Amino acid sequence: MTQNLDLTDIQGNIVKAYGSFGFFKARYLFLRVDNGDKGRDFVAKIASKVTSAERWNKDSAPSVTTNMAFTYSGLQALELPTASLVGFPADFVMGMSKRKAILGDDGPSDPEHWDKIWQETVHIWISINGKTVEDIEGRYQWIMQQIDASGGVALLKGHRGEDAFGNPSDDLPYQEASILYEENGSPSSKEHFGYTDGIGDPVFEGQTNNEKRVIGRGKLTREGGWVPLATGEFILGHVDEAMEYPQTAPRPDLLSNNGTYMVYRKLHENVGTFNKFLDEQSKVFPGGKELLAAKFSGRWRDNGAPLVHTPDEASKAEWDKKYAAADVSTQKRMLTDFTYNEDIEGAKCPLSAHTRRINPRGSLEYGVKDAFNTPGALVNRRRILRRGLPYGKVKDQASDDGNHGIIFMALNADIKRQFEFVQQQWINYANDFKQGNDKEVLLGNHDAEQPGKVVFEVEPGSGKPPHFVNNIPRLVETRGGDYFFVPSITALKMIAGGIIDPT
Amino acid sequence: MGFMDTLNIFLKPNSSGNATALTVLCPIINRVVDGRSSADIVRERCLRLPIHEKSPLAKVPNTYLARIFILDNVFYESLPGSDSIFNFSEITSIFSDKSRIGALPQKDQLKSKYLVFSSNFHGDLDAYLRGMWDKWSYDDNGQQRDVRYIWENCVAFGGVTDSSSFISYMKRCQLNSALFFNGSTDDSLQEQLKALYLKQEFSKFAAAHQGESAADLQQAFKVFIEQVQPSNLSGPSWEPGQSKP
Repeated sequence: MTQNLDLTDIQGNIVKAYGSFGFFKARYLFLRVDNGDKGRDFVAKIASKVTSAERWNKDSAPSVTTNMAFTYSGLQALELPTASLVGFPADFVMGMSKRKAILGDDGPSDPEHWDKIWQETVHIWISINGKTVEDIEGRYQWIMQQIDASGGVALLKGHRGEDAFGNPSDDLPYQEASILYEENGSPSSKEHFGYTDGIGDPVFEGQTNNEKRVIGRGKLTREGGWVPLATGEFILGHVDEAMEYPQTAPRPDLLSNNGTYMVYRKLHENVGTFNKFLDEQSKVFPGGKELLAAKFSGRWRDNGAPLVHTPDEASKAEWDKKYAAADVSTQKRMLTDFTYNEDIEGAKCPLSAHTRRINPRGSLEYGVKDAFNTPGALVNRRRILRRGLPYGKVKDQASDDGNHGIIFMALNADIKRQFEFVQQQWINYANDFKQGNDKEVLLGNHDAEQPGKVVFEVEPGSGKPPHFVNNIPRLVETRGGDYFFVPSITALKMIAGGIIDPT
Repeated sequence: MGFMDTLNIFLKPNSSGNATALTVLCPIINRVVDGRSSADIVRERCLRLPIHEKSPLAKVPNTYLARIFILDNVFYESLPGSDSIFNFSEITSIFSDKSRIGALPQKDQLKSKYLVFSSNFHGDLDAYLRGMWDKWSYDDNGQQRDVRYIWENCVAFGGVTDSSSFISYMKRCQLNSALFFNGSTDDSLQEQLKALYLKQEFSKFAAAHQGESAADLQQAFKVFIEQVQPSNLSGPSWEPGQSKP
């Protein structure tokens, strides 16, 4: 870990997943800039409260965080110089809805069905993360005062959800998000399908001094160890895995350095359809319902145990016993320390399982010795930092209705090469996994007319037939989102001051 | 790559087993009529070609993959370094722009635009070109077109009147494909389409009948075989040009 990052200049949400620091609640605000001068003044006000990536100890951690990012039209509205604007990549300039063909946002995920707010132009994203709703409310009220005082920016309404009285609305002024809680009220890291989420986010150089955190989360070395990914995969102005500066940085350097791109996606989870599908399919799957659910994801639902180490009930019971007895650090390691190289055929963890598709961990060499320079040659440039939280509550486990899902946020230096590639090639297509055009089970844009299928392979020579999962319905639907530029704190101040100078 | 493969590049430059590669570059007549060049007319006709099952190439027997386009000019690679192995001006170009430009490769121009047709197919060249002459047809907004409609603006194509003159015309315009890589097997198109069809149908069969008893499975498989008729190449199968199940 030789990289020294200027953590006071980098926005905190890039380096930290706030949820793992006890910030269980979040509120996402979207604004429109109507006047360049007043808009920049407003940015200056918010910038004064923007949370950096500075390391926290018990005493220095705040109770609420604030972060800020802009769409391309937002940067236009804030009157960035044209010579800077032309330096942004086409994916970001186009925005998420225009990339729908690449992302597979069709049918019920088509932008025409997105929340009302996405039917208009969004300029600014502001996030508030807090330990309690009261913490968030305090910061929210402060931001509302700044909006009122500005006279040049407007808070955009139009989120679907439930108002303070629990009534359904399609015109809410912000997107609320929160971790889910166990029945006994203790916090959980589950999402609405019951999976444990947010394990195994990538680790990059300069992010942590704790070598243990790199295991299973950095990049795999030829010797079987793990080292952090290059900083430039996630933060502009730093060298990336190709030993180059990211090509997506606009001029001048002070605008792009220590910034990155963020994908914001509101994903509705069809809980009723999922439960029905899981019940139906487990009738014909020999391993039982929970193993089937694990095969969809690559991890067991209850504690996130990786399937590669727990391919059946017996090995899972053994693993659980060890896990329960282990200290926190060992537990974390048990969750992330594995590759698929001991399971190239996908007999343990299917090649269409969610975790294997979004991060194949060096298994794309398919067991061919030294196929590439490094085992992760086809993976290390396709990693994304995942942020975000669940939203809404499931009232009826048998129904898709209501508003509940995940606010998914991905951070990467190159949206096209990283997020969009994973979505297009690994989630909605499977050539790299030798699975034809089988889509990933959970996130794939399965077609109601021609429902998808996936295959669970078996150990070669076992004499058992592979298992087919048929008629996969659309389990997750896109309900909105866009692409954002997350500037450094220096760049935020320069945007606010109108002093970005690309000459 | 083994020795015989390497040798075959030189001995049989356009073949890979029973698969053949064809590349033809036909010069387009330098002519402007009513403000339109012949190349413009050819391009417009190419852009109107129907695709998939309706493509004329779906009717030309044994076409694996083909493309047609207009080559407007050659691309100039303005890389440093001249055509000669060592040139003193490469050194002096550090000091003078005249030397630098002098050290660049010469710029070539085509004397006319070319209609480029390239195809990978099963079988031998004469039979394939005869198939192009006989079977190439498509509906162009109600007009039935044959192969002459695309080629008639090419130099000396006026002398083509029948399949044998078409074959010799195309051969005269042919370039060798020395490094031909065939992306599929070298079986006939009918065999390949049948194989694709069988693969698709069999995976549907496997999915639909998993978990059944051996006896039921055997019974279902008999019905399946009767339906798909594995040895009958003419059907049921995929259509040439078909892109979706």
